[in-house]
Amino acid sequence: MQQTDKPKSDVEKMSLYSKSVRKSDIVLTLLIYFCATVTIAFFVLLIAYVVFNGIGYISLEFLTSTSEQDGILSIIINTLYVEFFTLIFAIPIGVGAAIYLTQYVKQGKLVKLIRFSTETLAGIPSILFGLFGYTVFCVLFGLGSSIIAGCLTMIICVLPGIIRTTEEALLTVPNSYKNGALALGAGKFRTIFQIVLPCAVPGILTSVILAVGRIMGESAAFLLTIGTGTKMPSGLFSHLFASGRTLTLHLYYMSGNGSVPDAMKICFAIATILLVLIFVLNILAKLVAKRFIN
Amino acid sequence: MELFLEKKKFFSQNKKIFLIMMLSILMLMCFLLPYIQIIINKDNFCVTGLDILAGSKLGLADAGDGACIYFPNIMRISVLLGVLSPLIGVLFILLKKHVLAAGSFIVGAITPIFSLLTVSDLKRQIVELNISSNRVYIGFIWPFFLILIFGLTSAVFSVWLNGGEKLAEAVFFCFALVSVGLVLLITLYMIISGLPAIIEVGVFNFLFGSEWNPSCGKYGILYLILASLLGTFGAVIVGVPVGVLTAVFLAEISSKKVAVIVRSIVELLAGIPSVIYGFFGMMIIVPFIRNVFYGIRTLSQRPVVGDSLLAVILVLAIMVLPTIISTAETSIRAIPKSYKEASLGLGATRIQTIFKVTLPAAKSGILSGIVLGVGRAIGETMAVIMVAGNIVNFPELLGSVRLLTTGIAIDMAYSSGLFRQCLFGIGLVLFIFIMIVNISFMKISKRGVQIDATNR
Repeated sequence: MQQTDKPKSDVEKMSLYSKSVRKSDIVLTLLIYFCATVTIAFFVLLIAYVVFNGIGYISLEFLTSTSEQDGILSIIINTLYVEFFTLIFAIPIGVGAAIYLTQYVKQGKLVKLIRFSTETLAGIPSILFGLFGYTVFCVLFGLGSSIIAGCLTMIICVLPGIIRTTEEALLTVPNSYKNGALALGAGKFRTIFQIVLPCAVPGILTSVILAVGRIMGESAAFLLTIGTGTKMPSGLFSHLFASGRTLTLHLYYMSGNGSVPDAMKICFAIATILLVLIFVLNILAKLVAKRFIN
Repeated sequence: MELFLEKKKFFSQNKKIFLIMMLSILMLMCFLLPYIQIIINKDNFCVTGLDILAGSKLGLADAGDGACIYFPNIMRISVLLGVLSPLIGVLFILLKKHVLAAGSFIVGAITPIFSLLTVSDLKRQIVELNISSNRVYIGFIWPFFLILIFGLTSAVFSVWLNGGEKLAEAVFFCFALVSVGLVLLITLYMIISGLPAIIEVGVFNFLFGSEWNPSCGKYGILYLILASLLGTFGAVIVGVPVGVLTAVFLAEISSKKVAVIVRSIVELLAGIPSVIYGFFGMMIIVPFIRNVFYGIRTLSQRPVVGDSLLAVILVLAIMVLPTIISTAETSIRAIPKSYKEASLGLGATRIQTIFKVTLPAAKSGILSGIVLGVGRAIGETMAVIMVAGNIVNFPELLGSVRLLTTGIAIDMAYSSGLFRQCLFGIGLVLFIFIMIVNISFMKISKRGVQIDATNR
């Protein structure tokens, strides 16, 4: 005890073992902790606020009521329509493009061009896709504001993501598998379909899950193309040509709508549903990716 | 496996050639069927492909004597191409040039799309005959789609003549070209639809005019551009320090368990739909600003209502956070361990090492994350629309603003004529901004990769 009370000599100060703590280090460490806390606190605040306010309004009746005022069944159906008909076109195109980029041509000007355009496509904001889809699909093709126009627009939005994730998945398939199949006399096409693709299924599944999330969260592209309809579908395919808002759009329209008495409660409820779905999709994607690594 | 072989047997070369011939004949016959349908006042005019080729005009008896519309030249050329291309295709098949045949079938299949582009021209001609445009309907009916399907099928069969492997490669190649085609199409379309308005208003007046008042014919988008730029800039100022320091926390300071949790939180934040951010901003941030700055007036002497540039900045900052955190973290983790060890070995503290060695070395990765975030922020629409107030003002921190993206989204529903064209002009301006951001991102990230490669 006595030793520590003594004033330190210069030699002791320079010693490695009595390193003094710099003030700036403390400040910066605190700053780092502060920023990390802000990120996490904000997240907790957002989730808690939305879920706390929204969970009470969600009931079986709210989810399944066919009336336009107090139910969202028709809107859920619209969202499912958009998901299904977008993915059914986007997955084959995206996976096909990824196969071409990884299995057929790996270098050269053409591949560079394709990569460049995929990256560019990924960077274009969805409102511009909406503008494009509006003039091309709604006006030029005469589809009007309809679910199918929204789907066609959405294909463009999700394509880059699907291509990129699938490409990564295909690249992880060991070359020895392919060489083995080729050496056994299988053609290239059969090697791809029976060896490479089955090995990459979890990766492709991840890309599909991500695309599902993207479509569910999209709103700006739909704002200009899909219309505002809230009617229940009258026919399986005729509904494709009817206008119908998705969950996100319903949330947007409701938030600016003063005429519906429970508008804000509906908003919170939809936001909660969306958050839960995004959460579930995230976990699903993680589980699939984990299986992939194993 | 067996299935594949059997199919090969089932479709012998001769059968394929026969099928191609049949399909091309069907394709030609489609031009004899009704091709375009024009409905004026419930009177139905069906025009076949042959009509378009044979005569250059269509008489409309109802609209008065001698009233007629002329088919645009593009439409006639496209129909002619549609008739010729199956014939040329068959010729190529007989000459055993299968790929060229496929090409000509594809040209035949897409000719209807060219005729589609001329619909507006037809409509304009009808409107010039004093028929109200709401009573006119121009549509294409099923032969139109049949041509598309027959053309594509015969193209597939003619490539198949070269063998299944070639067919597979060709199909994958076409899929890969889709994104190239889309980018070209979007670029072209943005320029075609945006440029006329900009030229009509005048480049200078459009970009630097400070008055946006469509009802008086004033189309200056300076304030919109400024608001977009300031909003993005502010979001970067607020979001980057928080994001980069959180990334430092994840990569250098936190324990592994905490990092896993925080990282999944960040991933989740990235997946949350933008409307939810907008809604959150509307319910929490906007009232907060209104209460904090209660009673203060903006420079233009309006009371602070909460919908403001500040709210936009805060919402955008939150939205770019996940992008910045994840890119910054990856690039910090990619720094070789030897750098840190050398610094620590020289007696620097951990914090000194982070700020003097690690962060400067990860500079290009962090920068590319920032550019990515800028691209995201400048194109964000729905979250911004809910908190911006959307009044065209000189952008000030507490005043209501309208941005480029929200300008398009709000007015699109009820605009027409030059007003609507100007919205496409705004789209073009936004597109140019995005392209600049995109290309600089590609340049920076490529440089980052090169630096990383030389480090190792």
